[in-house]
Amino acid sequence: MRPYELTVADAAEAVRTRRLSPVELVDSVLERVERVEPRLRAFAAVTAGPARRAARKAEAEIARGALRGPLHGIPAGLKDLIDVAGMATTASSRVRAGHRARTDSTVAARLAAAGVAFVGKTHTHEFAYGLTTPQTGNAWDVERVAGGSSGGSAVAVAAGAAAFALGTDTGGSIRVPAALNGVVGLKPTYGLVPRYGVTSLAWSLDHVGPLTRTVEDSALVLAALVGHDPRDPASVAAPAVDYRPAPGTDLTGLRVGVPGNYYFDRVDPEVEAAVRRAIERLEELGARLVEVEIPMARYVQATQWGLMVPEATAYHERTLRAVPDLYGADVRVLLEAGELMSAGDYIRAQRARTLMRQAWREMLDTVDVIAAPTTPLTAVKAGRPTVTWADGEVESVSDAYVRLSAPADITGVPALTVPVGRDSAGMPIGMQLMGRPFGEATVLRAGHAYELAGTAGAMAPAA
Amino acid sequence: MSAADLTPSDLTPSEAARWAARSGLPLAEDRHTEVATTAGHIHSVVSLLRELDFGDTPPSAAYRAGGEQHDAAL
Repeated sequence: MRPYELTVADAAEAVRTRRLSPVELVDSVLERVERVEPRLRAFAAVTAGPARRAARKAEAEIARGALRGPLHGIPAGLKDLIDVAGMATTASSRVRAGHRARTDSTVAARLAAAGVAFVGKTHTHEFAYGLTTPQTGNAWDVERVAGGSSGGSAVAVAAGAAAFALGTDTGGSIRVPAALNGVVGLKPTYGLVPRYGVTSLAWSLDHVGPLTRTVEDSALVLAALVGHDPRDPASVAAPAVDYRPAPGTDLTGLRVGVPGNYYFDRVDPEVEAAVRRAIERLEELGARLVEVEIPMARYVQATQWGLMVPEATAYHERTLRAVPDLYGADVRVLLEAGELMSAGDYIRAQRARTLMRQAWREMLDTVDVIAAPTTPLTAVKAGRPTVTWADGEVESVSDAYVRLSAPADITGVPALTVPVGRDSAGMPIGMQLMGRPFGEATVLRAGHAYELAGTAGAMAPAA
Repeated sequence: MSAADLTPSDLTPSEAARWAARSGLPLAEDRHTEVATTAGHIHSVVSLLRELDFGDTPPSAAYRAGGEQHDAAL
């Protein structure tokens, strides 16, 4: 196995035991970036020089016995909404031409302190306001969408061009591209990971989290990110929890909620079959399946839009007036139209969220996790605008991609996506595991057990 | 069809431009139709929330995902 193929956990162990130098590891990943990037275009910027310097520093520290932890010397990507001092945060937008971040974001600073070597900034759908990331090709089929908005992060991880990456998730932007590229993505509980220094799409919905090739890796990265930061008003103290899942696969006693409504409505039959097989696998591992009804499902999209649209428009108020022509057409019109939403509609969405959170909390009193598809369809060919479901309903591809992930952003519950197979076109399928607020350890345990049962995703062909 | 459903189709391009201008966003004329259409679509999605009886429910402008129990444990 070549170093770029190693999981974070395996690379960390190889580095710790000095079987692998961080310099070799980072060089291997940078070579992989050079090889796949011309086709995939996952990166807004590759930072080979700083990555090699971080690797040499890590090598020297480890040689003198000063191992910082499991991320020491590990090469990673950052979605290009995440500030690194002295670098541009482009948000994959012309609006940010000439930008230079003055300080590190909290998450970049914490990863740097853990010894991570940043190999680059990964592409986002412009300002995270979209579900496809059109600049970037899917790691399994470059003619298909990467998913978004953290498309570059998902593709880089799937292709071995980063051992892990960070993304952001406001309606599904970590989990959608993770599912579409066959990697693991974790949207943590709202407030668990500080967002200081991360470009906002919608403050009351934004989350930062890891994209990795295994569930165990997500746990390792999450542990380095959590902890209160007063510069993010939503930030909370991290519960004293060891996120790293135990090695076994026994899920005896775990109650897995299987939605009887919403999550399996208008879902591609191949996606549904793969996710139901995965849920059966959880049952074989000892979990008890419990049917649950998703509350207020009719109001998910209305609540999501009612919160996101005016908040996004507010964030862009100045630049939308100063340089409107620099936005992409799809983002510009959403920002402009957001000016027309009334305060009454926004408050109504805020109140609907209060009701939805309460109803989800009651539902989550009866089960430990909820298992469902992450997206209702796999990666479509780039440029395809709509999907027509069996009942004749026509839905935009973006609406479809966000439909099953948005509830966890509205309610703030943790949501993990794990690969559960591929469809007949060879495109990856994701299963979503959602838990109680601050119940990351439980969803990671379930996802890890599933993964250990022999169904972990292979690395994307990519090049 | 309720009155709320009719509202989007009532929003003409010039009305959309006026509303935007009142919000402090002057729109060039070639933007009016596209913005009106998108605003109408957003409105039709979000208006669904008018079905809900919120009673005394407060907004969630600031909230803790774990609710009061988690806060108490902090």
